[in-house]
Amino acid sequence: MANVQDGAATRGLPLRGSNADAESFDIVATYHRLLKEDPDLTMPMAAIEALIEFLGHSQVKTVYETIDLVKTQSEKLQAAVRNPIALSHGTDLFSQYLIMSLKQPASSSSAPNGNSSSSKLASPPLDHPHESFEVVRQHLLRNSRLFATRAKNARERIAANGRKHLHDDTTILTMGGSRVVGNLLSRAAAKHDYGWYTDPPRRFRVLYAVDPALQAESDGVVQSLRAQGIQVATIPFTALAYAMGQVDKVIVGAEAVTANGGIISSMGTYSLAILAKASRKPLYVAAEQHKFGKTFPVDNFDFSFDQEVINFSSDNNKDDKAKKVPMPGPIDFTPPELIEAFFADHKVLTPDEVAKEVIDMLM
Amino acid sequence: MSSEQNGASAEAAPKPQNDKASKDSKAGAEAKSDKAEPKSTDAAGDKKLTGAELKAKAKAEKAARRAQQKTSKDVAKGEAAVSSSPGQLGPSAGEVKAKGKGKDGASAGAAAAGRPVLPKAPPSAVVTEQKIQIPECFSHLSMARRIPMTQADKDVHPSVLMLGQQMATFTIDESITRLKATLLAFRKVIESYITPPGNVLARHFTPHVLNIQIEYLTACRPMCFSMGNAIRWLKLQVSKLDMDASEEQAKKKLCQAIDIFIAERITVADEYITEQGAKHIKDGDVVLTYGRNTLVEKAILYAHSAGTKFSVLVLDDPYERLGQQLAKTLTDEGIKVTYSGDFGGLRNHMRQATKVFFAAEAMFSNGAMYARAGTCDVAMLAQELGKKVIALCETINITERVATDSLTYNEIDPERSSAAAFRLMFDTTPDKYISLLVTELGSVQARSAPDLLRKLEEFN
Repeated sequence: MANVQDGAATRGLPLRGSNADAESFDIVATYHRLLKEDPDLTMPMAAIEALIEFLGHSQVKTVYETIDLVKTQSEKLQAAVRNPIALSHGTDLFSQYLIMSLKQPASSSSAPNGNSSSSKLASPPLDHPHESFEVVRQHLLRNSRLFATRAKNARERIAANGRKHLHDDTTILTMGGSRVVGNLLSRAAAKHDYGWYTDPPRRFRVLYAVDPALQAESDGVVQSLRAQGIQVATIPFTALAYAMGQVDKVIVGAEAVTANGGIISSMGTYSLAILAKASRKPLYVAAEQHKFGKTFPVDNFDFSFDQEVINFSSDNNKDDKAKKVPMPGPIDFTPPELIEAFFADHKVLTPDEVAKEVIDMLM
Repeated sequence: MSSEQNGASAEAAPKPQNDKASKDSKAGAEAKSDKAEPKSTDAAGDKKLTGAELKAKAKAEKAARRAQQKTSKDVAKGEAAVSSSPGQLGPSAGEVKAKGKGKDGASAGAAAAGRPVLPKAPPSAVVTEQKIQIPECFSHLSMARRIPMTQADKDVHPSVLMLGQQMATFTIDESITRLKATLLAFRKVIESYITPPGNVLARHFTPHVLNIQIEYLTACRPMCFSMGNAIRWLKLQVSKLDMDASEEQAKKKLCQAIDIFIAERITVADEYITEQGAKHIKDGDVVLTYGRNTLVEKAILYAHSAGTKFSVLVLDDPYERLGQQLAKTLTDEGIKVTYSGDFGGLRNHMRQATKVFFAAEAMFSNGAMYARAGTCDVAMLAQELGKKVIALCETINITERVATDSLTYNEIDPERSSAAAFRLMFDTTPDKYISLLVTELGSVQARSAPDLLRKLEEFN
């Protein structure tokens, strides 16, 4: 009981002194280290893992303190990067998971993703909330790697879900060096064993639009696809409208999925989506469920940060000191009207269903 | 101030409006000819009303008490009509209606049919002359009316009595302010309530006290959706009270519940929506808004105080110039404001705008927005010109009902209706014209309104 009171007392204060460990822990460095260590890790997942590592370092004993700490750490992390959208989707999911699992009896907190939370009925809180809290905390710490492995499995599940929508003798257009899309295409080109039925390999061709800014990633994907015997043609971005007539389907990846079922993805995806819509070719998005989030931009300039991509100037001198530097890794927002469907790890769903899931999951 | 005369205005106006111009002028002429009549009958009105009263009394002599009540209502109706009709008739009534509903042709028929149909014509034809004639097909729409305090039920609490008058005169107008005032008044009712011997609060309060208050309020002005939602909630709280609890405890618990409800669903919700709405205002934006709404005003002021540099275009409802008030408040704060008193040059104004902000009176379950008449026209044009429409709304305003047109649910403006025509106060904007709905649960698309309702149910 004393702990609870302690927590309540420190909650109002800016958490000073109570958590020496929490203060010395550098969440930003951890996040960047995790991303560097594992090139397959997505930004939301790295954020979640960094938060779990932080929980391991902190000595908090109460629920409220933890939720408050997770919140401040998430804010710290978000403030440290220029484009915090994908990352914030991860931290939101994690804090929602914490809240949900602390509301529920310890026994049902075994699913670290907390994704199906809507289907579980809210159960009455335990008599000793901090006991359940300790269970959840221990569970998280023991299984911290589980998030990462699940995330990687998610890519395989997307491949299994998406292959049903790829057909023989079709041409698929993609861009941007997305790992999820690369995996989806290469898995589809091999046979897949469902257990009760072995799906034969798909024979399709891939048209790869190469963005000079993402040359390295694109080259990697193209090479691995060709290594699998898939016919791949690379075209420059400028040839997209020209090539569209030859295309049957467009598949892209996403950095984050917004609350209305749109996507935030590398710059150029929006133009690709508009071209696909104009030529009436369906656009599919391959994205894990953990990329879904509450962000809701109404247009491309409705972000909390300025990408400074557009800079007017009447000065020919390129070394102008006042000149702004465009954000590295620029992004754009593709509205849901341009998207046919999502290949997610749990199912294939329309943008409207995404919107519903975000409300169920995170609001 | 921008000029109202420009070539775009004709283009901007929804087509049916032009067709109706001739009809309007006709209606206007009719109204003018009627104008003289009410004035002359004004004095005679009392005599005639008493006649009607006597007649009604004679008719229902046996059920004396009930009849008394009914008659008093009739009188009230008559009086309201008399007091409001002269001078305010103007050529307006038909025009507004036409404009608000520009897109559906049904209203054209309504205006035309306004005259000949006399629904439920009571025996005394003279009295009905002064009343606002509502065609049979619109008889489901209700109207605010002033009920003299002396004719209210004796059990109506004084605070509710006052609130009813404020609502009937539109002193308290916005859905959320009405809701808050209602809850506070009910709180007073609960505080002063004494359970009669042999009864329990949980059983006695709702049917014998609360319902009387609600009836009176509804008679003063039709309930808004948020009030309906909150009253359902309040009744549930009363029925959930512990039977064995003492009266003091029960009352305390109810008052506490109301306080929490106001804090959560109104105060904090407003703060959060203001903040979130303001986030969508960026440097260099031109924010267009229609009429005046507290939430929109707060969001604009919040964005301004956060240091965002933007200007505001206030478009006003020519029949209730509340936008002037908004424009004044904003200019006082140093925000650059362009004001337009009506829809003249709407297209031109919209071209300059970058975002459109509305606040919903209510949200229907199909994602349609119920708001001040004229909102739909503005939203449609915004959509056509590719401007983003942002709607602000507290979740208490979301109703489980569905409306695809503006006539299923609406309210007749008692102050701007005549014998020849009546004006509707609201219209319904389909979800496809709304880009974003900001609520205290989060920002969603308008179509997701029912998902928010479901989410709210899960919380309870």
